[in-house]
Amino acid sequence: MSELSLDVLHDLRRRRKRRRLGDIEWFDAAYRVYLVALFGGGTVLWISSSISDTTVSDQAVADIARNGPALIGLITTLAFLAALRSGAQGGPLALEAPDVAYVMLSPVDRMRALLRPVTQRARSAAALAGTFGAIVGQLAGRRLPGTPLAWAASGAAFGITTALLWAGTALIAHAIRMPLWLATSIGLVGVAWQGAALAWHLPGPANLDGSLAMWGWRQGPIDLVAPLLAVIVLLVGVGMLQQTSLDALARRSSLVAQLRFAVTMQDLRTVILLRRQLNQEQTRGTPWMSVPRWIQRPIPRRGIASMARFPATRLVRMTGFAAMAGVLQAMVVRGTTPAIIGTALMLFVLGLEAMEPLSQEVDQPDRTESLPIERGELLVRHLVAPAIALVPFAVIAAVSAVAVLGTTGAIAPAAILALPTILAGAGGGVVSIVRDAPDPAKGSSQQAFVPPEMAGISSAMRIGLPVLISALAASTILLVRQAERLGNSPIGAALRGAVGACLLIFLIGYWVRRRDQWRRKIRQFMSDGQNYTKQQRSTPA
Amino acid sequence: MTELATRQLMKTYGDRPALEPLTLDIASGTKVALVGHNGSGKTTLMKMAAGLLDPTEGSVLIGRHAAGSQEARRLLSWLSDSPTFYDDLSLWEHLEFVARLHGVTDWQARAEELLEQIGLSARRDDIPTTFSRGLRQKAAISLAFIRPFQLMLVDEPFVGLDEPGKQALLTMLDAASQRGATMVIATHELAFVKQVGRLLALRDGELVYDGAPSDTDVHALVLPS
Repeated sequence: MSELSLDVLHDLRRRRKRRRLGDIEWFDAAYRVYLVALFGGGTVLWISSSISDTTVSDQAVADIARNGPALIGLITTLAFLAALRSGAQGGPLALEAPDVAYVMLSPVDRMRALLRPVTQRARSAAALAGTFGAIVGQLAGRRLPGTPLAWAASGAAFGITTALLWAGTALIAHAIRMPLWLATSIGLVGVAWQGAALAWHLPGPANLDGSLAMWGWRQGPIDLVAPLLAVIVLLVGVGMLQQTSLDALARRSSLVAQLRFAVTMQDLRTVILLRRQLNQEQTRGTPWMSVPRWIQRPIPRRGIASMARFPATRLVRMTGFAAMAGVLQAMVVRGTTPAIIGTALMLFVLGLEAMEPLSQEVDQPDRTESLPIERGELLVRHLVAPAIALVPFAVIAAVSAVAVLGTTGAIAPAAILALPTILAGAGGGVVSIVRDAPDPAKGSSQQAFVPPEMAGISSAMRIGLPVLISALAASTILLVRQAERLGNSPIGAALRGAVGACLLIFLIGYWVRRRDQWRRKIRQFMSDGQNYTKQQRSTPA
Repeated sequence: MTELATRQLMKTYGDRPALEPLTLDIASGTKVALVGHNGSGKTTLMKMAAGLLDPTEGSVLIGRHAAGSQEARRLLSWLSDSPTFYDDLSLWEHLEFVARLHGVTDWQARAEELLEQIGLSARRDDIPTTFSRGLRQKAAISLAFIRPFQLMLVDEPFVGLDEPGKQALLTMLDAASQRGATMVIATHELAFVKQVGRLLALRDGELVYDGAPSDTDVHALVLPS
């Protein structure tokens, strides 16, 4: 009967696939692919062209040869840590809720029923990591010995190997119901070991995988053990599919459905919110601190109460984003201009994390509308508490930037620029939150004025604009770099940069405050235009 | 013969106990009502028996098979209080799929009979995700009954049902019981409790009553502590 059930399942999947394919708007899909190729390809080309084609010095080549495998292997151990944690939290699979209710509760062979979702998961992870590896590989190939093509291939091989290892490890951690604390501990031991391998030139657990990434330059057959091991781990994970927890599948199924919808809608804030839920990240039952009595105003009290319940994992993550932003800014000062994009992403996500009170407010439009205070005013007041909470993260960013640059001359510019840059960068997150908020007053008439040709552009702007704002904040560091190159005072440049960032913060705050009024005016203008057109048409010539 | 057995079955969420250690045997062919206040642990118990929730400790057997095993899934039909459906299949296609997954080949006549009984014949070609709460519940009932089973676990079956729907469900439950199936029904409908042979009451995750419904004040049992 199990064979019969599997045939039924395969038959259903085929029928549904045919139906889905029939429902696709092919022109729309092609247009989206075109946009992704245009913007994605353009970004890669820009980054590639901004990297000098001159090869690095012999000393640098020797350093890369010695430290490269261990350094790249660090990425593998981080993926291993993420996989263990994902498996311990019920990942990496997510089925549709009805699949859990009907297929998983039927006497069908679960391992064979889950084989296709596993294949899809591993395939998509491998494609994503492989593409990313190839892009980074071809960038490395522009400055290092070997051709960019060979480097792209080895980067892709590294990405695919790491992705397969991730999928297999997560499946095993899930099947054996590994406790989260144990998953984190084992993963951190792996990361620490690899870190020690990098620092003291010991054999690291992921050196072979790291070395595989450098096949564009030099090839060691022993490195092939890494992909072989990844495939074995994946096969072991697949062999343990019978032990898949329905508890986890049921919990994840609804969240993943929402996540896919949010991704489709390019709603980054919801994506991050759902990722948190998927990782079972819950606010603390006991707050870190109680709200001080001397803070009387309800909105700051609400903001502090919210942030005082941030779980430790989120605080650690935010610390990581801030530290990484500092490191990337230091790289910009040293000459790697494209690192600004990395800083922008770090600041944008940091903003989304910190602005939780604002997010909670905009998610309740009915309640917001019922309060005796204008919505714009309310939202601006919600920015104050998170802005204060970002101060320690600005310190972390400044310290990490100075540590990487390693000069005392960097201390003053970092101290001046850190806080305005962090706040203005987090402004990208604010724009994303406020703009993607549900708007109960929004009418359908406004949509009618957006021609289909503009839909793609507005879609790209939806994602791009908030990150662009964060990038604008991050780019203040270019003033300092330029001043250093020209022999001018970096402190003066940092002050000018800080003023620019403050101006950006003011503009974002002003936009949040006035946005609703502007939108109402635009809507009124459109409505008047429509009425006028109707009137003109109905009037006999 | 025992159809459902739990041994020191326990579930906690963090530090909060949802079900205290529970040892229980339910004989084949009995009709059991499970009552308790909101959050008393009824759904937790049912989900663990259905294999949808991992116990913190202890075990559940369906027949002689571990809950969630292939054999247990063959024996057990689970009717949830929050049914889910594919959003690209009609009710009729759902019935076909579930029936065939359980090896039922001549399912059409049974499906027509069920839809007639529950009052959904006119909606058989509609997508159930577009149904109202009550109609979704009726659709879920028809799906739970289209397949063969020895044990049916039903969670809050009457929620959202109109009076004809309730009567139809009661008739179906009686018919299944008469052909020897074991029924465990978690409910807040205390009037229904009189129709069963055995009553289980949970309070704050603990079993506080196990016996005949006629021997106790059911209303007092469902009050939180």
